[in-house]
Amino acid sequence: MGIINLAPKILDPIPGGKYVVNAIDYVVNWARANSIWPLTYGTSCCAIEMMSSSMARYDIARFGSEVFRASPRQADLFIIAGTITRRMAPALQMLWEQMPGPKYVLAMGACTISGGPFIYDNYAVVRGAQNLIPVDVFVPGCPPRPEALFHGLLTLREKILKETCRDPWHEGEPKDVSTMDRYREAAKTWAALERIKDEEMAEARAKFKEENPDYKSSFKPVRVKKEDFPEVERIACKRFGLSQLDIYKKLKAKFPDITVHTHSEDPIEDVVAAMPADRPLEVMISVEDYLPAVEYVKNDPEFKMNYLIDVTAIDYDDHFDMVTQLRSIEKGHKVFFCVQIKKNFDIPEEERPTALLGSVPTISHLYPGAEVKEREVYDMFGINFEGHPDLRRIFLDKDFVGYPLRKDFTHPQMIKRPV
Amino acid sequence: MSMTRLPPGFKITRDTNTEEFFINMGPQHPSTHGALRLALRMDGETIVEIVPHFGYIHRGMEKQAESMSYLQYIAMSDRQDYLTAIQNNLGVVIALEKGMNIGVTEKAEYIRVMLSELGRIASHLVFFGCFGGDLGGQTCLLFGFKEREMIHDILEEVTGSRLTTNFFRPGGSRFDVPENFIDRVKAFLKHLEGAMKDYERFLSKNIIVLERSKGIGILSAEDAIAYGCSGPVLRASGVDFDVRKANPYSIYDQLQFDVPVTYTGDCYDRYTVRIAEIHESMRILYQCIEKFPKEGPWRAKEKPVRLPVGRYYSEIETAKGLYATYVVAATTGEKPYRIHTRGPSFPHIAALNKMAQGHKISDLVTIMATLDPVIPEIDR
Amino acid sequence: MFVPSITHPVGDFIRDWVPKLTAYLPDALHNATLDSIAAFLINALLCVIAVCAVNIGSAPILIYMERKVCAHVQCRLGPMRLGWHGTLQTIADVIKMLFKEVYSPSGADKLMFYVAPLIVLIAPFIIAALIPFDHNLIVADIDMGIPMIIAVNGFGVLGILLGGWSSNNKYSLLGALRSGAQMISYEISFAMILLFVVMISGSTSLMDIAQAQDGTVLDWFIFKIPVLGFIAFILFFISSTAEMNRAPFDIAEAEQELTGGYHTEYNGTPFAMFYLAEYIALVTNSALAATCFLGGFHAPCIGVAAIDTYLQMVPGVVWLFAKIYFMIWCYMMVRWTFVRPRVDQLMDFEWKFLLPVNLVLLAAGAVWMIFVG
Repeated sequence: MGIINLAPKILDPIPGGKYVVNAIDYVVNWARANSIWPLTYGTSCCAIEMMSSSMARYDIARFGSEVFRASPRQADLFIIAGTITRRMAPALQMLWEQMPGPKYVLAMGACTISGGPFIYDNYAVVRGAQNLIPVDVFVPGCPPRPEALFHGLLTLREKILKETCRDPWHEGEPKDVSTMDRYREAAKTWAALERIKDEEMAEARAKFKEENPDYKSSFKPVRVKKEDFPEVERIACKRFGLSQLDIYKKLKAKFPDITVHTHSEDPIEDVVAAMPADRPLEVMISVEDYLPAVEYVKNDPEFKMNYLIDVTAIDYDDHFDMVTQLRSIEKGHKVFFCVQIKKNFDIPEEERPTALLGSVPTISHLYPGAEVKEREVYDMFGINFEGHPDLRRIFLDKDFVGYPLRKDFTHPQMIKRPV
Repeated sequence: MSMTRLPPGFKITRDTNTEEFFINMGPQHPSTHGALRLALRMDGETIVEIVPHFGYIHRGMEKQAESMSYLQYIAMSDRQDYLTAIQNNLGVVIALEKGMNIGVTEKAEYIRVMLSELGRIASHLVFFGCFGGDLGGQTCLLFGFKEREMIHDILEEVTGSRLTTNFFRPGGSRFDVPENFIDRVKAFLKHLEGAMKDYERFLSKNIIVLERSKGIGILSAEDAIAYGCSGPVLRASGVDFDVRKANPYSIYDQLQFDVPVTYTGDCYDRYTVRIAEIHESMRILYQCIEKFPKEGPWRAKEKPVRLPVGRYYSEIETAKGLYATYVVAATTGEKPYRIHTRGPSFPHIAALNKMAQGHKISDLVTIMATLDPVIPEIDR
Repeated sequence: MFVPSITHPVGDFIRDWVPKLTAYLPDALHNATLDSIAAFLINALLCVIAVCAVNIGSAPILIYMERKVCAHVQCRLGPMRLGWHGTLQTIADVIKMLFKEVYSPSGADKLMFYVAPLIVLIAPFIIAALIPFDHNLIVADIDMGIPMIIAVNGFGVLGILLGGWSSNNKYSLLGALRSGAQMISYEISFAMILLFVVMISGSTSLMDIAQAQDGTVLDWFIFKIPVLGFIAFILFFISSTAEMNRAPFDIAEAEQELTGGYHTEYNGTPFAMFYLAEYIALVTNSALAATCFLGGFHAPCIGVAAIDTYLQMVPGVVWLFAKIYFMIWCYMMVRWTFVRPRVDQLMDFEWKFLLPVNLVLLAAGAVWMIFVG
């Protein structure tokens, strides 16, 4: 930079100097526009399409842009491929600031334009890259095809060709994560335009009717016959291992307090016996029985529940339902423990959204894989795990306020989905 | 350096005479496969401990799903494991079918299985490319993607979209397959057989690849089960577990295929299992082509997607492993009370520390490549 | 009085012409000593220009070639839009790099940071001066050619180490240390093979080495000693690839591991210099391989007089460059085919395999020289 920006100041006053400046402009812009080295940066689906575009079929190298640099210091173009979350935002801004000028930004995909599919009821996604850094070109699509990316690249090329060192490229300012909902603003403008169009249309229609009172349309709607499909019975797949009833009976013998979630009036054993074969047994269990029960099914030779599928939770009004999904690799049967965790309502109401409302013993010493899953439940629901070795937030920043998957969760940046 | 005060997440304490240091890998790093951040504790070039930091692509899908209809969530599932989006669709749809208690016609089942297997091949081809690419052979990356594009051509012709397919619906799929579908798949399989021979010659017996992947990142069978690994990672450790055999969904019980298992659990085994799976998928596809019903309804009777009160669970085997969907309906209606997705990559990254300890930083790249994680599926 | 001179026909030509030109000058300036000094300066200037032209001129061509070779190996087309088949692509890249913002990261040692790329450039330039391009075309025909190359070649690593250290980045430092360890190790087998060549030719002057291969193709050192010559050539190929930090031995850059190694923090012109040094090293190493093993500037004569006369009509420079580009093509094909070994494996390979084999080769060569040659 630097030196050529002085060129117009020195050369322009000299007779004929303008042509020299124009020539410098031409050469420099030609070089910049045709040698765009992108940064290797991708967060999600768009990254795969960005990769596809540099592969044999589409070959971004034809435009001289196959030199994907892993270090931002050597890149010219920042292709923001994929959703940007609030947690990623500082890293994104830092990367942009690390790039030497002149640098260009291409926002790829719906997420980087407006938040895309993640606009409503979302606490994590930044609604558009424009809210963080200045963007030169937007490429719509979810995800855009590689051809669309090329179109964006060529548009950027044209934009660079119009630059001049009389009005040199200057760095924009990185912005704060704002709550701006670009989509809604655009929708408002769109609606206003549509209204004007409708009015004009109505006027035109009235005018037409006045002029041609006898006009009759020859248009007749044709109804396409809908294809007819048969109803098909669902066939549950084969049962492996113990049947639900056996599991229930064995557990009931050991832990008499357990129940099974049901809405019918029939005895529980009948309900369990009537379950389809591919439906796992869900056992309602108390917090006290939870750890002994898991230990029991893990070590009992008939159960051998050695595989933890997942730990998750469901938030109800007065309690959490923490679901621990276990299966036996050898035998093939599954059992889901639904731990009923009563919410601790001793906490004053205004502190509840940010407080840990329940507590349950950890099973991470039995299943090492449970460690991250329990961290996720802690992060999303605010359930404490007693004895967990490393209880930190996992997906959200450590200063994030609230627990998103609770039903009463609110966040200043969340926009309700219009019904 | 005094190791008495380690940053949060690091656990191992040890007495050393050497100076340890920390390296931050990601969230923008060419070999973390997306927005994953790994904090490495290093002793020279040797890794002492790894702490993965997730959440850089946490998009709050599960919160959003609570205000979406069931059908809208199928589109969300595309954006989790985008390498085999079509298989994720299947996982969600099976859970919905369980709730609605409807079946699927024969032709629709074949369409589902064929597209899923094509998706599996596509994902494994990306793995092949990334594995070679992460080892330093950029050319591999291109080769893997070359054949993958052909699968995407077929997917595009059937579903209308290259990547995010959003195709399956309870009772079948959105459309019928085009007439030339079977011919296209046949032609592709014929091409792939030749191509795979070349590609295997490229990597499988290459001495540098063998040196760099044999005995690296060993995960024992006990550890693999304990961490909840699934798919090729679990099978490479010697555990014969495949949902297609263990709890067969769709028509997998009517098809002949083997589950490739190897017993060392190192990087090379994970690679060979995936390559063998490509061949098994091709075998399944050949059978499907033979049995594919030309006549017959391509979907069952359309019904509004309203699930009765209850909890519905489905699990399928995607290219990465066990993909489970857990749907909770608290009221009978079009909207879920909660949907939870269990992605296969999450436990793999949790087990990364176990695998990479004591290896070099170059080996970490190899291990990451053979785990084949997709980060948006972890963070959701 | 010491009068510097350069001995070969171009030098003689200039020495002849300078007095004739100075005859037109006033008498005070007309003096034999001044003439020879002027002739020397003109000569030196021409040499510098020639070395720069060969080195800097070949870099863009090589970058273009690399991108095209890479693309065709990978079933792509490579640069296509700028100029005929993308021929102007590298020129655009160079101009863009020159006009890019240059800055050093915070905490960097500024002086070292900017000096490092220049140091990297020194070694290949010096080596280029020692290469004989034709019977009479050499910049510096010194008797100690091979020891000079061995001495100078390690210079590049200094720049890389400085660059990596001064960047204040852990990735850079790791890359630089890797590179240092690698280049110092491979330096040894590199030197060993050059010693093998010296042993066969009986001279350390590169000109003598090239002249010793006069004759048919079978007189080239790669074929002159059956089997041993070919093994030596392969070993030279491997160790020079490692010397240049080129893939598959590019563990110092290792994009997938270290995002860029020692040049992670470099941008704009300094980065372009690293790039340039890499490609100039490619030229000089290929030239060295051509001179030491492929007969240098000699035509590939096959012993049939009717054909050989025509082959010898082509200037030696053309033959040398043909051989250089063939070697470069080999280096490129290897780069885009193989995967990268690990650091410790690379060291193991050098110390446990390459070096012993080299020693055996040297001994076998000596035996051959005693009994046959």
